[in-house]
Amino acid sequence: MAVVKAEPIIEAKKIYYSYAGEEEEFSPALSDVDLKINQGEYLTLLGANGSGKTTLLKLLNALLIPSQGEVLVKGISTVEAEQLELVRQTCGMIFQNPDNQIVATTVEEDIAFGLENLALPSAEIRRRVDNVASRLGLTHLLQHPPHRLSGGEKQRTAIAGILAMQPACILMDEPTAMLDPAGRLEVLKTVKDLNKKESLAIVHVTHSPAEAAEADRIVVLELGRIVADGKPEEILTNLKLLHKLGLEGTVAAELADLLRQEGLKLPAAIMSNRELIESLCSSEQIS
Amino acid sequence: MPGTPFASDALDNITFSLGRGSFTLLIGPSGSGKTTLIQHLNGLLKPTSGAVYFDGKKIGADKAALLSLRRRIGLVFQMPEEQFFSETVYDEIAYAPRNLGLDENKVKERVVKAVERVGLEHKDLLDRHPFQLSAGQKRLVAFAAVLSIEPEVLILDEPAAGLDPAGKQKLFNLLYGLNRSEEITVLVSTHHLDEVAALADYLLALKGGRLMMAGKAREVLARRTELQGLGLALPQVTEIMDQLSVRGLPVRKDIYSLSAACEEIIRVKRADQG
Repeated sequence: MAVVKAEPIIEAKKIYYSYAGEEEEFSPALSDVDLKINQGEYLTLLGANGSGKTTLLKLLNALLIPSQGEVLVKGISTVEAEQLELVRQTCGMIFQNPDNQIVATTVEEDIAFGLENLALPSAEIRRRVDNVASRLGLTHLLQHPPHRLSGGEKQRTAIAGILAMQPACILMDEPTAMLDPAGRLEVLKTVKDLNKKESLAIVHVTHSPAEAAEADRIVVLELGRIVADGKPEEILTNLKLLHKLGLEGTVAAELADLLRQEGLKLPAAIMSNRELIESLCSSEQIS
Repeated sequence: MPGTPFASDALDNITFSLGRGSFTLLIGPSGSGKTTLIQHLNGLLKPTSGAVYFDGKKIGADKAALLSLRRRIGLVFQMPEEQFFSETVYDEIAYAPRNLGLDENKVKERVVKAVERVGLEHKDLLDRHPFQLSAGQKRLVAFAAVLSIEPEVLILDEPAAGLDPAGKQKLFNLLYGLNRSEEITVLVSTHHLDEVAALADYLLALKGGRLMMAGKAREVLARRTELQGLGLALPQVTEIMDQLSVRGLPVRKDIYSLSAACEEIIRVKRADQG
């Protein structure tokens, strides 16, 4: 279990955000969002397309600045332009498509890119690149051109580039959407390890209930507002809420719900496959 | 890049056929050659050796034929909305019919029909900028832009990537409807079997540029170990059924949708009770 300290890495205080040029008839992309993310916490953001997940993520590392309210990263407001570098070093961002975020011609150069921009001494860059490569199992790929890597390896290279900046938090916008099942598992395991072993805070945007189930906490957005905030076992079994928002619970929760409607007696909070299988194999349930 | 030091076989000795009106899934891990294969099917790429035939005619023989081919086979790329270039949704969808040389009345007919076919309702949507739409709407507009050429065959590369669950469901229902009620032949490439396994008639599995498995969807899906060996995950609901069966619940294992799983578990539980 990661050490979750009640010490916020990120605090969003009553933030609003509207995209420039939006016509009056459109509601703001985010309204009245209050959110605290603690050190070592693994948080998933759920919500339908257009609910504001990506906007919120971008506000958390100063890619966007709130129209109202403020975002504090380690106590520093993201409006303070001279602190931008520090904010973005503290909270690194991973995007959906690994091909759009890899810039260099070898893996090691790509990992070093951010460090070079910080003008660190080259010995220090070498040390940090080797260190993160070994932590993420990329050492054997350091000399490879990124376009020859698998999707999972590319995404881990992107994570390594962030990790080299020694952040306290990684923000991820659907990091597995373009990956095959093996790549997906590879990236999720990497992220989970970073969270558990190194107490990095994670903010993970996903549409996959199975991925969301891995988090400590889930925050649900609807039309730019937070509509639920709780543990995975509360949120992912609340099918009434999820369906209303165009979302789904885990497959086990959805199947359990259908079975209950057919008269099968099952415990209320079934989230994982294991829980469903245990319940179904245990006893008489039909009424 | 044949003839260069970088030459490698992206596709190797692939033979299959798609029947008119069928719904086929093309599956395989990243880098297995799905996108390369798809690009051969409407003549965007030409095979180094071998040939692709459409309606009995070899693809790529002459250029005029290639144009008419692309009117009959619609190809939806990965993340198609990233290729939007028009100022309005209307112009985006009208691009292809205009290129067909249709007069503006006919173009409008095609646009309206395409929008209706993908189930987008708002009439005012047509005047909006495509970037003002939600991700789900953008995907449907990209889809409408291909439907506006009224193709007989639809080929889609990872059509649901990045969509929320409701958007995915809507997209696949739509594809299934076009396939079943309008007899449009559909080929979908995907990594993820969860939402689509139950819809497909046929399944093709690629790995390393080779066709590893091909056949009726149910038959291919039953070859669990081979599928897993290709790095592909079964639908989660199928995994649940497999595990129930291992645990001694006598459920059928050829289950690929939630509703079928529910029905089967209830059947077994009732039978169990006598």
